Amino acid sequence: MTAGSWLRERFPVDGDQLRELTNEPVPAHLKRWWFCLGGTPAYLFLVQIVTGILLAFYYQASSTNAYESVRHITEDLEYGWFLRGIHKWGATLMVASVILHQMRVYFTGAYRKPRELNWIVGMFILLCTLVLGFTGYSLVGEQLSYWAATVGANITNNVPLIGPTLGRLLIAGDQINPQTLPRFFILHGAVLPVVLVLLLFLHITILRLHGVTDFGATKEEKEKRFDFFPDHFLTEVTIGLVLMILLTVLATVFPVGMGPAADPLSTPEVIKPEWFFLVTFRWLKLMPITAAILSLGFIFFVMLIWPFIDGWFRKRRPASELSVWIGILAVLAIIGLTVWEALVQH
Amino acid sequence: MGAGLVASYGTLAWFASRFLYPKRDEEGAWLFVCTVNRLEPGSSLLFKIPGGETIAVARNGRGADAGDFVALSSTCPHLGCQVHWEANKDRFFCPCHNGAFDRGGKAIAGPPAQAGTDLKQYRLRVDGSLLYINVPSELLAKAEPNGKPAREARGELHGRIVERVAVRGPGHDPCLAPRNPETSREC
Amino acid sequence: MSLSAKQLIIAFLGILFLASLVLVQYTEVMRREEEAGLREHKVAVPESSKRCFECHRQTNPGIAEHWLGSTHAQKGIGCIECHEAQTTDADAFSHEGYTIATIVTPRDCSKCHPKEADEFQNSHHAMAGNILHSLDNLLAETVEGSRIPFDPHSKTPGRPDIDGKVNGMASAFTGCQQCHGSLVGFAGRDGKPVTMKDLEPDAAGKPTNLEAVARITKNADGKPIFSPGSWPNTGIGRINVDGSRGSCSACHSRHDFSPRRARQPENCGKCHLGPDHPQKEIYDESKHGIAFADLRHKMNLDAKDWVLGKDYSAAPTCATCHMSGHSKNEGTITHDPGQRISWTNRPPISLAMDTDINGKVVTEADPAKRNELVKDTWQNKRDRMTQVCSHCHTNDYISSFYKQYDDFVQLYNEKFAKPGTLIMNALKANGLITKPNFDEEIEWTWFYLWHHEGRRARHGAAMMAPDYAHWHGMYEVAERFYMELIPQAREHCEHGRQNGKAKEADDVLALIDSILARPEHKWSKGEAK
Repeated sequence: MTAGSWLRERFPVDGDQLRELTNEPVPAHLKRWWFCLGGTPAYLFLVQIVTGILLAFYYQASSTNAYESVRHITEDLEYGWFLRGIHKWGATLMVASVILHQMRVYFTGAYRKPRELNWIVGMFILLCTLVLGFTGYSLVGEQLSYWAATVGANITNNVPLIGPTLGRLLIAGDQINPQTLPRFFILHGAVLPVVLVLLLFLHITILRLHGVTDFGATKEEKEKRFDFFPDHFLTEVTIGLVLMILLTVLATVFPVGMGPAADPLSTPEVIKPEWFFLVTFRWLKLMPITAAILSLGFIFFVMLIWPFIDGWFRKRRPASELSVWIGILAVLAIIGLTVWEALVQH
Repeated sequence: MGAGLVASYGTLAWFASRFLYPKRDEEGAWLFVCTVNRLEPGSSLLFKIPGGETIAVARNGRGADAGDFVALSSTCPHLGCQVHWEANKDRFFCPCHNGAFDRGGKAIAGPPAQAGTDLKQYRLRVDGSLLYINVPSELLAKAEPNGKPAREARGELHGRIVERVAVRGPGHDPCLAPRNPETSREC
Repeated sequence: MSLSAKQLIIAFLGILFLASLVLVQYTEVMRREEEAGLREHKVAVPESSKRCFECHRQTNPGIAEHWLGSTHAQKGIGCIECHEAQTTDADAFSHEGYTIATIVTPRDCSKCHPKEADEFQNSHHAMAGNILHSLDNLLAETVEGSRIPFDPHSKTPGRPDIDGKVNGMASAFTGCQQCHGSLVGFAGRDGKPVTMKDLEPDAAGKPTNLEAVARITKNADGKPIFSPGSWPNTGIGRINVDGSRGSCSACHSRHDFSPRRARQPENCGKCHLGPDHPQKEIYDESKHGIAFADLRHKMNLDAKDWVLGKDYSAAPTCATCHMSGHSKNEGTITHDPGQRISWTNRPPISLAMDTDINGKVVTEADPAKRNELVKDTWQNKRDRMTQVCSHCHTNDYISSFYKQYDDFVQLYNEKFAKPGTLIMNALKANGLITKPNFDEEIEWTWFYLWHHEGRRARHGAAMMAPDYAHWHGMYEVAERFYMELIPQAREHCEHGRQNGKAKEADDVLALIDSILARPEHKWSKGEAK
């Protein structure tokens, strides 16, 4: 008995089935690189899982040891600074690519019927990624971590009705205490990644069931397809390599150092969250906190059900380009608020 | 293509395994012992490292290379008692179970000789006219210079000469030995 | 794109990825070598100072090494940032293409440390140079030395080179001025030094008297030559040619400017020691100093901010109480140690440290006028010190300590200092002793009493060193007063009476008797205990 047949007997999939499973022909437009932005965050997520597991071997989620263990990883262990650098820069790139992917989907109208549900799943993936980012930098035990967690908790506390309960649940008490970090760690290292994996599974399943959106204008173009494997797969491998090079260079040239250790007694004069929260941070400063939170919730809700709003509107004005204009406005607003927050001192 | 992928991702995996593999830290720390001319050929000294361990450093050769010096742990490999130098018998002796070692730290009698366990040697380095000893990190781990753990304060670690022994000096008092006045400052 | 093209691209990228990992490996190796101490911590010598550094590393390796270990080096502050000068500066000279000055003054430091420089300029430390030509300095300049150079009286065998004039100011230069600071001057073409008094610097430190600038002698390279007595000098009240006062390196030794060192008592001990103000020895004897000696390793001396109650609380050093930040003042450091001192024990009679707008102690006695002049009261100063004390002591404890201290100072003032001052003034006013100081034994006696023993006693009380308060202090004050000052004063009166000053002698004797008849002195006549 050959090894192949031995295996096939125990893992009863033949080559054709496997090919069918993995090898859906994809539309020709995927030959263009900017349509691969969906694969980018997925690949980065893989990098985050691998480096995250490695870091978790040494990280200690306790208020007394967190900073020291991160310092140990960064300064004492071999390649620790490098792996931490990749994790940190990987997070940055992941958030960026999720946002870019979403923008691409939005502007190409790929969320439209029948793919509304996948847009919704995507929104939750975005949310999940952002919360992963937030819990991630709260784990380091630096001043930024401590005060970011504090600010995060305060924002949560201000959500009407459920806020205080949610806030207490988030940081395990009324203020940061020794139980807070383990919570953040479990969220960051177990709960959220699993949720994200499930969401991604759902996202890709829905994608596979519908097939990749077709943008071809003519029927001929629409029918032009090429194989996922190995052709598109190699594209993804290429992207993966480019990302690895980018991450490696970023981690080496801009190494992630250690900020000042968390000090509950002294609030830094300027607290700035990571860049992807700058827009929210500015928004919060623009109006009373409850109004800001409610409006943020409202904006999120509108984004969530946007495919339906858009669908309702297009039924009435099929030729309208309104969604594009709204999208441009939203992007400009987000960039504007982010830059504003990044530039001002307070 | 395959080679490129395997080589690059393989290297990354190698880095990751280095990261995970517990650090053996063979580097240790180089501590300054004394200037070469303060340890005359044939004499030795006891050097206490910050963690508490005492190391016998002897000069066996007339030259001034690291090879002319030997640094031996004063902890008996048998059960951890403190060995001491017996000048008249030209040996290190462990009083606990009559273990004995020659000048190079080789076990010559008692349980260590039976087990074939010699005194642990430390690496030495001569830099210009300065003699340095290499002390493994685990020995230094107990030291806390200026209240900081040793690994954070490599530069602040200093050992201390606790005793100077003229190997073949007259009498039992090393200070009675006729010697260069510069070397007898410890007396 | 064809499949094989993609494969080629991937192969290429794989190699590129590998190359970037080599970069990682290189960084890692560098890092580990640095960690093992085999490689210097990477300090980038700023481009502008590279040439200075390379050359001076050869010629003065100590300077280079010290600088390498400094925070300045880490932050990229090189040689030129501090030594840079403008051609309009009196001390500027051209050196290897740069215009620089030798002495870095507080004005230079204030470019980056303005608050510190300001506080320092207002401190008593900055005024330490005022001692030049004062009473104390009469000792070094005249009594110990000579203000006019004089001829040696015989040859020094083997040293024909020093057979010129004897420099009578040598003791003042090396003794007084190395703590108090020199009046920095250049060797003048006419033999007279050119100091800031001649240069008359403006608010920006530029000389306004160009005639004086022209008098500065320069060497062949155009480098101004300092008058040898005034430089080298790191005295804390140095009077610099740009008109600024002080020398930051008095405490922050160049060229590593170590905060660690300035935090330790040994640093202050360069000057605050000896027979007249042994603060360092007093501190060493006190509970505070004992704790420090034991717990030095817990002092966290390398902490960035070194805030008492936050970064450390094992023991206080001089800096802790008098200068450093603490947890109850948001860690604010002061470079004016006088801000927390409530008595000045410097003069013969201790004064409350009510200071005016210039930081000078107000001596006005009239309460209304005094009120107008005082800008910062002794009580404010004591409150500031109390904040420091309260890190380790309860308020009751602190106020009780201050009660003991106040009582001690008052006892010294009332029993010995004020009577002694009265007697000395009376002797002088009545012509029973001559105008010049230190030509009569009683003037030495009085000087010993207040300047040495009286200060030892008061400082001993201030800093809780019982032996200095008593045996090295009040005991010697009393002995000096009863066994020397009073008998010598009487002797001068007798001497005056014989020389036709009977009336004056009787007046002073009456004063002495009235003092000794006071209840606290009665015991000395065998009348009371």
